[in-house]
Amino acid sequence: MQVKVLSAKFDIPDANTLEVAKKHGAYATLDKIFAMQPEEVTEIVKESGLRGRGGAGFPTGLKWTFLPKDTDKSVYLAVNSDESEPATFKDRYILVRDPHLLIEGIIICCYAIRSHAAYIYIRGEYTSQVKVLQAAIDEAYAAGYLGESVAGFDFQLDVTVHRGAGAYICGEETALLESVEGKKGQPRSKPPFPAVEGLYGCPTIINNVQSISSLPFILANGAAAYKAYGTEKSAGTHLFGISGLVKKPGMYELPFGLPILDVLEQVAGGLRDNRTLKGIIPGGSSTPVLTAEEAKTVTLDYESMAAHGTMFGSGGIVVLDDTVDIVKLVENLIHFYHHESCGQCTPCREGLGWMLKIVQKILNYEGTMADIDLLLELCDNIEMKTVCVLSAACTMSTRSYLNKFRSEFEAYIAHSASKHATM
Amino acid sequence: MAEKVKLFVNGQEVEVESGKNLIDAIGAIGIEIPHLCYHPALGADGNCRLCLVGIEDGRPPLVPACKTRVAEGMKVQLDTGKIKKIQQDIMEFELINHPIDCPVCDQAGECKLQDYYMRYDAQPSRMTVKQVLKSKKLDFGCGVVHDQERCVLCARCVRFTRLITKTGELGIVNRTDYARVEIFPGRPLNNRYALNVVDLCPVGAMTSQDFRFKQRVWFLTKSPSICHGCSKGCNIFIDHNREKYKDDIIYRFRPRHNEKVNGYFMCDDGRMTYKLENDNRLLGAMIDKRETGFNEAVEAVRRELSQAAKTVILVSPNASLEQMYALQQFAGTINAQVSGFSDGYIKNGDGDDFLIQDDKSANRAAFHLLGIDDTRAGFDTAVAGADLLLSFDNDLSLSLPQTDLDQLLGQVKLITVGSRQNDFVTKASIKVPVASFSEDSGSIINCDGRLQRYDAAVIKNEPMPSMIAAINMLGGGIVSHQEAREGLQANVPKLKDIDLDQVPGDGIALTENEVAHVAA
Repeated sequence: MQVKVLSAKFDIPDANTLEVAKKHGAYATLDKIFAMQPEEVTEIVKESGLRGRGGAGFPTGLKWTFLPKDTDKSVYLAVNSDESEPATFKDRYILVRDPHLLIEGIIICCYAIRSHAAYIYIRGEYTSQVKVLQAAIDEAYAAGYLGESVAGFDFQLDVTVHRGAGAYICGEETALLESVEGKKGQPRSKPPFPAVEGLYGCPTIINNVQSISSLPFILANGAAAYKAYGTEKSAGTHLFGISGLVKKPGMYELPFGLPILDVLEQVAGGLRDNRTLKGIIPGGSSTPVLTAEEAKTVTLDYESMAAHGTMFGSGGIVVLDDTVDIVKLVENLIHFYHHESCGQCTPCREGLGWMLKIVQKILNYEGTMADIDLLLELCDNIEMKTVCVLSAACTMSTRSYLNKFRSEFEAYIAHSASKHATM
Repeated sequence: MAEKVKLFVNGQEVEVESGKNLIDAIGAIGIEIPHLCYHPALGADGNCRLCLVGIEDGRPPLVPACKTRVAEGMKVQLDTGKIKKIQQDIMEFELINHPIDCPVCDQAGECKLQDYYMRYDAQPSRMTVKQVLKSKKLDFGCGVVHDQERCVLCARCVRFTRLITKTGELGIVNRTDYARVEIFPGRPLNNRYALNVVDLCPVGAMTSQDFRFKQRVWFLTKSPSICHGCSKGCNIFIDHNREKYKDDIIYRFRPRHNEKVNGYFMCDDGRMTYKLENDNRLLGAMIDKRETGFNEAVEAVRRELSQAAKTVILVSPNASLEQMYALQQFAGTINAQVSGFSDGYIKNGDGDDFLIQDDKSANRAAFHLLGIDDTRAGFDTAVAGADLLLSFDNDLSLSLPQTDLDQLLGQVKLITVGSRQNDFVTKASIKVPVASFSEDSGSIINCDGRLQRYDAAVIKNEPMPSMIAAINMLGGGIVSHQEAREGLQANVPKLKDIDLDQVPGDGIALTENEVAHVAA
């Protein structure tokens, strides 16, 4: 089931160094792309069906076309490497195992969008990853792949690594821009959208590390080769992070469209200790949970997830078995989103803390049945009333647990829940 | 005139000014969209989420009104169940961690949380878990006291220090419901406009050290007036109250919006000049340090005037146009010279490029309009050979060095007619008390040549006569403000086309264009 498109060089020792990476094909696409017009590069990316790998799944090539034509302002690329969504661990592999793939992707993207400055916004906690990445960038500069004349072509490109300071919200694209500008990382109201008014008030494209890293394969092998993987609407491959109570948790590159339960069994080794499946978080902690029953018909692609009332998200799959206490899981979940709320908008700032305390009250056997309904109402009252979707990430997922596992909450309220269930 | 657009509010077609956001444009025709973080002088931030409105067929269908410009044909929904529910929900979120300490909160009575709760929420609390506790009564400097628990984090104060004063002392630290407005450690508010954050704060989080716990605001009478602290003439509200068995006292000045003069703000120094109206007032007539009746003192002055060989009238640069005119007429009848010498009222270099002016007097521009000389040389010429100096509220000790002043007072007899007690006034042989500006009406011209009108705000238990009435009693021909205004209009060419009884609320610039416009 596993494929090696993005992860082709992941298992090669020292592929993070330029010498080894070049031996295995790094920067081979540059001759090809610089012979093309930028618009042709964009066209190929659009044709490939590549969708944003940060979670929203917006078509990458289409996003690039939102840049104003003939602008006299600088155009910026911001590479989102703030990978902070719980259960998501894919970009970090690219940063450490094949950073030159990312740099090559950045060159391709910047050429296509006519940008001469790219910022890689990297999660503050990625301390070892940033060292590897920076070393690769330094090597690329030294070898002439970055700087005044990229690979000898008449194209200037500078890449700057910007480290975050440990805030999940800075993965939201406009909060990321604020942070790069040296301000407190708080999402901006849209419109204006970043493609029109982004970094330093200039047109800016923000793409995820994995999206950018998919470009060298697409440009080297053509859109059709990429589309050969996956489904019609979910083209290509994805780095899936499978975690939770499975025998072989880890990062696996798979094409889109595989049945989730097959992947769970054949790739991740199945559940531990012959336990039974309770549910699956399909794409990072913010995506609504799937019950074991729902999971039977789910395939790993955008359209199947949407049809099942959830989202593909970041491809971070968490497997929950029958030992998981859903109420404790929800407490953990809301705790995270409450802690990471930037505190800008009233509903999210005040509401998530309220929700957290209600769940804690239920966990302390002090809850009432009315609390469950209040939680559900608060989800409605908070969701989509805010500048960004952080609150929705919390409420959509929380609502799914309340609706699909309501009996577990009621059990706590009825003083009958086991105090020793583990999560 | 600004362009208009037609749009629909709750299905009703209305015409509003184009180019504005929904809050301002629709607010101008009397339809309120509740909001906490938006302020016209600070722009839209969009954090409170209280101004979310529906746009029928809009994409997106739900928008913050503060960030949405009016557009032709737009269908704005304010009264749908969905929007009303959102307003109620946001108010609930604002209040769950609020201490609801209205009985001891200075903002009570002028608090947006109170007003909006009554109008848009009015539901009992559903909060059954512990509230977030934060710090209280933090000294932020410049007389600003902050209560983090009352704060709704609208960031108006933060934006004020960043956008208006550009001093940036305030920020919001921490995230989520731990977020709070803070100063940097050891770096308190340090600007001359800091107290504006108290006015800007829509709730009771920012209070004034000077005002807190002094009065319940619903007892205060809020009278429009003009600040006399400098020549800018910032528009203000005089908030005053007569408590039972006490006198009418001013508790605070607050800026009153006038886009042509001060916008929404005023400086802290000017704000504190309300104390001059309450304290150190000349409360009774005196002859040679002996308290006497008002009429007796007036008689004494008249006697002195009739005996004097040469009289000089010294007028204050704070006097109103009407007062100056009445004095000029009076001076003519008694053959006295008029001087406006008051160099000491000017503090060179004290002003800034925002509101504060070097000249700490309110109406010096009127000297030039009426031809009153205010130079030292003119004053020296006037007092040469004089034996009587009649000062109308002009504190000469500010302008003359001590030795010069002593020498002058050795030569002339000093009589003061004024509202204030000070060292110079104590040297007078006769003192006649009159009303101060907050108890009187008048017209003044600011540093930019803008004529503004103020009316009496405070009525004392024992009101002092107005200066014009006092001048009249001394022998001046002008009997009333009305007569002074008519005289000014008839005799001062620049005021020819201005009806001083009908000065527009935002004043009138003494330039051809604006005068012609108002006259038409």
